[in-house]
Amino acid sequence: MATVNLNNNQFQTLLAEGKTILVDFWAPWCGYCRRIAPAYEKLAQERDDIIFAKVNIDEEPLLANDANIEVIPTLVLYKEGKAVDFVIAPNSKLAIEKFIEQGVN
Amino acid sequence: MKRIYDLLVIGGGPGGYTAALYAARAGLSVAVLEKLSAGGQMALTDTVDNYPGFPEGIDGFSLGENMQLQAERFGAVTELAEVLDMDLSGKEKAVHTSEGTFWGKTVVISTGASPRKLGLPNEEFYTGKGLHYCAACDGMRYKGKTVAVLGGGDSAVADALALARIAEKVIIVHRRDTLRATKVYHQTLEEASNVTFLWNSEVTELLGQGKLSGIKLKHVQTGEETELSVDGVFVSIGREPSSGLVKNYLELDERGYIVAGENTATSLPGVYAVGDVRTKKLRQIVTAVADGAYAAYAAEEYIAQV
Repeated sequence: MATVNLNNNQFQTLLAEGKTILVDFWAPWCGYCRRIAPAYEKLAQERDDIIFAKVNIDEEPLLANDANIEVIPTLVLYKEGKAVDFVIAPNSKLAIEKFIEQGVN
Repeated sequence: MKRIYDLLVIGGGPGGYTAALYAARAGLSVAVLEKLSAGGQMALTDTVDNYPGFPEGIDGFSLGENMQLQAERFGAVTELAEVLDMDLSGKEKAVHTSEGTFWGKTVVISTGASPRKLGLPNEEFYTGKGLHYCAACDGMRYKGKTVAVLGGGDSAVADALALARIAEKVIIVHRRDTLRATKVYHQTLEEASNVTFLWNSEVTELLGQGKLSGIKLKHVQTGEETELSVDGVFVSIGREPSSGLVKNYLELDERGYIVAGENTATSLPGVYAVGDVRTKKLRQIVTAVADGAYAAYAAEEYIAQV
């Protein structure tokens, strides 16, 4: 699957359905966000067990605020309606994979 | 059957993708192994103004991506793979990664360099939570706040000056009692009214609950310990080569750089070191790409001979 851009409403709907969602909180002006994007896209293509979402914090400040995002890029994993773990600025595709494995299992 | 590439490139910065471009254009099969995305260190540079051909400058990420696309146009492939281990001793060199093992007749090491760490406990925990290594990337969030810059060289001073335009107060913490930075910086520093110095001071501990809120300092002469409250800390104490994976195979100098001259040849035949990871005087994008071209040429010659 490809990554999906979410607004607050779409996010709340998926969350209420209890889906496992990984959210990449990012912004266009954030250099490191661009760096992790290719690995994030690749992972989204490789696995379909979770939703790979992206939230632009400039467009969705309320959502970013609710999630206590202070630094970007931050990836937050949601499971059964709750945030279960987060990682800030992972430094490789492998680091993102390890983060997912830890949180999903 | 296992696939053996003519050339494996480890690291997708400017040196690595130039090696890939030249090798692919020479008809060699090439795979670039990159753990995150193209560009390496320059990918975090807002504007690259000293790479010729871009009169208005270009952002480092786009430059890296362009280099990747250009190499791929001639058949080079990119694998987003993190190298875990390698065996460079044989005729066929094995590189074990998070995406499986890759084989190459020749290998270009273009792993670059990264900011030197403080070596303190909890350093990783606080990274991104008040502790930073890149003022240009993370400085914006300290508008109106107090930050410390650790270091006394050119890059520390450049970071301090950049932060002085954003933060309310910048404190340069340095182990010595003078700056190592070049003279041109000194006057600008004196004119920056919100920059102060803490000389002869060394950071011994990172403090804070959940995120960094201060540092413990030790005076290097008196041994006296003090605490300094800050909103953020920027570490700028130099860079270190990313050569850990090859240290068992290649000769390194005392600072960890791979010993190789302009011809990029390392102590092992068929293995080349390009860019910031090799011993050289001037570490720039243009010198890295020059290395890449040479390494591809050397790899081609080596393959023709064995």
